[in-house]
Amino acid sequence: MKKYAVIYRSVLIESLQYTANIAMGFISYLIIIFIFIHLWDYMYGTPGTLIAGYTKEQMIWYVMLTELIWFGTSSNTVTRQASMDIRGGNIAYLMNKPYHYTLYILARYIGECSVRLPMYAAVSALIGLTMVGSLAGFRLITLLAALPCILLGITIHAVFRLCISLLSFWIEDANPFHWLYNKLILVIGTIFPIEIFPEALQPLFKLTPIYTVCYGPAKLLIDFSVEKYAEVLAAQVLYLAAGCALMFFIYGKGVKKLYVNGG
Amino acid sequence: MNVIEAENLSKTFRVKRKEKGLQGSLKAIFHPQTEAVHAVDRISFTVEEGEMLAFIGPNGAGKSTTIKMLTGILYPDDGAVKVLGIDPSKKRKQLAYQIGTVFGQKEQLWTHLTPYDNFRFFGAIYDLPDAEAEARIRELSEIFELDAFINTPVRSLSLGQRIRCELAASLIHKPRVLFLDEPTIGLDPVVKENIRSLIKQMNKELHTTIFLTSHDVGDIEKLCKRIVIVNNGKIVLDDSMTHLKYHYLNKKIVELKLHEEAVLPQLAGITVLKQNGGHVKLEVDTGIMKINDALRHIDAENMVDINISNIPLENIIMEIYKAEGSSLKRGPLDGNHLKKEGL
Repeated sequence: MKKYAVIYRSVLIESLQYTANIAMGFISYLIIIFIFIHLWDYMYGTPGTLIAGYTKEQMIWYVMLTELIWFGTSSNTVTRQASMDIRGGNIAYLMNKPYHYTLYILARYIGECSVRLPMYAAVSALIGLTMVGSLAGFRLITLLAALPCILLGITIHAVFRLCISLLSFWIEDANPFHWLYNKLILVIGTIFPIEIFPEALQPLFKLTPIYTVCYGPAKLLIDFSVEKYAEVLAAQVLYLAAGCALMFFIYGKGVKKLYVNGG
Repeated sequence: MNVIEAENLSKTFRVKRKEKGLQGSLKAIFHPQTEAVHAVDRISFTVEEGEMLAFIGPNGAGKSTTIKMLTGILYPDDGAVKVLGIDPSKKRKQLAYQIGTVFGQKEQLWTHLTPYDNFRFFGAIYDLPDAEAEARIRELSEIFELDAFINTPVRSLSLGQRIRCELAASLIHKPRVLFLDEPTIGLDPVVKENIRSLIKQMNKELHTTIFLTSHDVGDIEKLCKRIVIVNNGKIVLDDSMTHLKYHYLNKKIVELKLHEEAVLPQLAGITVLKQNGGHVKLEVDTGIMKINDALRHIDAENMVDINISNIPLENIIMEIYKAEGSSLKRGPLDGNHLKKEGL
């Protein structure tokens, strides 16, 4: 594992040189948060109203947290870059090193997120506390407890996106599949919590990665319970194991079909 | 001891084919057509430890595909390959610890890091303990003279400095075999010469086996003692450089400057390559006619200047490429110097 830690460290050094570029991305994040603060403000109308079991503050913090995960992990490394490595043949120059290509990509991704995510977290905390106010019953210990869930959610997200990119061994363009996956995560679980959707669909959504990537960690932060914590953590461990197995399987099959342009 | 053994190594790619125009594009949706391209076609060769081998051929000949099979990146369709006794496609990771690769057209270094950070990175990738990595960096820094820019980000280095760092990075784990794919591409003549002497030095001092592909004849001529030429996926020549040159040295280029334009004799063994007024370029086949016999047929009184030279290696290689296309019906290269199916 030491070599993946070194890859992570090297990306961290590299990413720290681009903090100004990362900060430019705050603009989109701020616009979206601003829209949702006003949207939910209007939807809730009178104080004390509950929508799908959420107070107004909980709902806005939920969106801010899921958007934080979304923006804080938006990197091309596991998506476009991995697809291009395969289609363009660059993978050939990465495969001949004594590491596993997929773990190399994941180490890079986590390295990038380690700079991006705290920056977005700081901005979120600032906006949240000034424009929405603190959450009732929130304690710092909740954040510490939910942190492993956030990190696991980010990793699961990356593993599934990398699985889609690995389809590039067979197909010309994996972008349509990324588009579908992103839209599912964005609509079900990021912009709206699962409880907003019809009750009949909710168990189905809880079986998808959506539950482990965004919904689970965000829900724990705004409404923590030990039962929920155990449930989310267990689902994440299962999803991570299944996702990794799928990732290694696709890579193992795909690499045998590798065609490198120009030899 | 053989460090590389390839036997009947083959690789076929399926390449999409589409008829021209919009109609062709629409047709390809419903009836996609592919064509088999034999990138590498049953090639066999061995490389001994410490050898410096030039593996060359025209574009699309199968050089890079062969290297990628030797390094475990591509899986052969047929045949067997062993590098340092390891099957690259089955144990790529294990092999990676013992081989190094430099692709002149592809950066392996992280451009935003300094060469030093890159070397530490590669040291960790190859599981070198910290103290050993440090000692190795010092050693390579001395050999490749990197001290002046070892702490400058790679993106700020010149191409020559970058290639020196690429070579040093590929040697951090003391590989026994080094695959060099066009290591001097884009470099100026002085830097090229510098890189060549460094490659020679590491072969001599570290006894590293060098497997080189290059379109630069200077690299081949100055570095390698053995040459393997591939074309259309097959080995068309596998010979020592000395042997190759010897067989072509029976052809001399004679350049003459004459006072007045003269009618040159039509004799077997003499071919007029170019004639422009008093400037004449002849090719004399010394196997048919001795050089002094050929010169006797030229009026010495009319001669202002004369220059006799060997055919450049570049031309020899070009002839071999062409000869393969015309079933190798060439003089000095036929018989046992050419490896071709059925010959």
